[in-house]
Amino acid sequence: MAKLEVTVAGIKLRNPLILASGILGITSGLMVRVERAGAGGIVTKTITKKPREGYDNPVFLELDVGYINAMGLPNPGADYFAEELRKLENFHIPIIASIGGSTPEEFTYVANKLKIPLVKGFEINASCPHVSKHGVEILSDRKLLSEIVSSVKSVSNNSPVFVKLSAMINDVVKLGEIALESGADGLVAINTIRAMAIDIWAKKPVLSNIYGGLSGPAVKYVAQRVIYELYNVFPDKPLIGVGGIEKWQDVVEFILAGASAVQLGSVIAKKGLTVFNEIIRGVKMYMEQEGFRNIEEMRGLAHRT
Amino acid sequence: MHRLSVVTRVENLAEGIKSYWLALDSDLNAEPGQFIMVWIPGVGEIPIAVAYEENKKLRLVIARRGKTSNYIHENLVKGDRVFIRGPYGNGYIYSNVRRALLVGGGYGASSLLFLASKLVNRGGKATVILGFRNKSKVILVKDFTEIGADVIVCTDDGSYGIKGLASEVAEEIMDDFDAVYTCGPEIMMTKVVHYALSKGRSVQASLERIIKCASGVCGSCVLEPQGLLVCRDGPVFDGEILIKTEDFGRYWLDKTGRRIDISRLKN
Repeated sequence: MAKLEVTVAGIKLRNPLILASGILGITSGLMVRVERAGAGGIVTKTITKKPREGYDNPVFLELDVGYINAMGLPNPGADYFAEELRKLENFHIPIIASIGGSTPEEFTYVANKLKIPLVKGFEINASCPHVSKHGVEILSDRKLLSEIVSSVKSVSNNSPVFVKLSAMINDVVKLGEIALESGADGLVAINTIRAMAIDIWAKKPVLSNIYGGLSGPAVKYVAQRVIYELYNVFPDKPLIGVGGIEKWQDVVEFILAGASAVQLGSVIAKKGLTVFNEIIRGVKMYMEQEGFRNIEEMRGLAHRT
Repeated sequence: MHRLSVVTRVENLAEGIKSYWLALDSDLNAEPGQFIMVWIPGVGEIPIAVAYEENKKLRLVIARRGKTSNYIHENLVKGDRVFIRGPYGNGYIYSNVRRALLVGGGYGASSLLFLASKLVNRGGKATVILGFRNKSKVILVKDFTEIGADVIVCTDDGSYGIKGLASEVAEEIMDDFDAVYTCGPEIMMTKVVHYALSKGRSVQASLERIIKCASGVCGSCVLEPQGLLVCRDGPVFDGEILIKTEDFGRYWLDKTGRRIDISRLKN
């Protein structure tokens, strides 16, 4: 029997499908729904020290090839969100808190507030493509990235810390190395890619923020390449693949490329929450057909010569 | 991406409420209760219920509520372009309903107008109770009458129709109907849902919340504790579900995702 359970940086997941940051992980009721839908784990929306309203509409756009969003990291702030998480009772899947900020102090403030039993790990959002100083600027400043990672790690009480990377930076492997050397336990790749959409009749950019992040099928092969590159150099480190995953075949591809687990985001706009169980069934069927007993046996196989 | 539409007609319905007819390139095939996102480039994008759709003609009823709706009221005229995406969400369920009671408040009457026309076209009977603050706010009475619905109008101060609340009038006559539909201020809908369920009538209500993505991913429109998404699971919900929803009639999420008391909303 193929086993879907997987342990990523010490976090036990009942299956390798994690809800990606930015999608639904904002209230306790939604998290319960995601758990019931079959997810292996949940990454919360990015939480910042202070509440953020996000940008004005339009903030989200459906394209033929995916989605562009510039939500602007709306969230109720760390203090409020910690109380929201405390409402969860009988909750069994691990929660990974996505943290945003622009200084090490802001990151540690949020990590300290969200250090509650249900939160099994932290994901540093160092790659949001549409909020100034809260994203890719961090990856461009290697010293700042290193400081943020080590300061979050220093307050995380041994909970694993992941860094979410961006394909917008050329040498993503080098950044992964800096993150890991600074104390990160694992890497998540990729965040959305900065993009824009122009309406030809309005003759204007559609998003109020002009720039947003591209997600969905349009970015899948970029994300897959980044996971492959990271696995080449860090085959022993936990790697979580995210970007355009819509079906079980995509999950298998990412695991063969080197991912220990994957995250689902935009696909929920297309297929709804039933996509978790649909994909789980497909992955299981594939594993049984191909004779894999567990996810670990499949991981990184595309690298074998 | 958005679809292009062109304003073909603007009607002043009442103080602060206008109706816009839009010409489309192709049908949306919207169902009553569904909504679309209306984008005014350089201004903003808002969710608006479909008030009617037929042969590439779309009707919207827009009340002044904020920046974008104010801009629309002050600037949009015949010939102007409007950019829309959708339709989104789940509308009213009305197949096999013979005698329907529709209870609308304020601009909430608009999605019920589309529902009433579908019900009447299918050979059903629609009775509509419309509640308004006063005579200056009364809308769509003629439109409902013209499509063949029976209309009862109530105003809070008695300046038009019956003096009293639409929900109270609805309670009195509810026994004569198979199904109840309501759209309007949530305080009114809460009463209608409770009256209907206590009388064993099926009831559906259409809710309003802050809509950002409209695609069921951002969570801005969630109802707790079930985590129901107004943009995707709704905006129309069955009353049996709503009575288990703490937020129904009580709370909204603000733009940050904090729960605020519904009384703090400006109308």
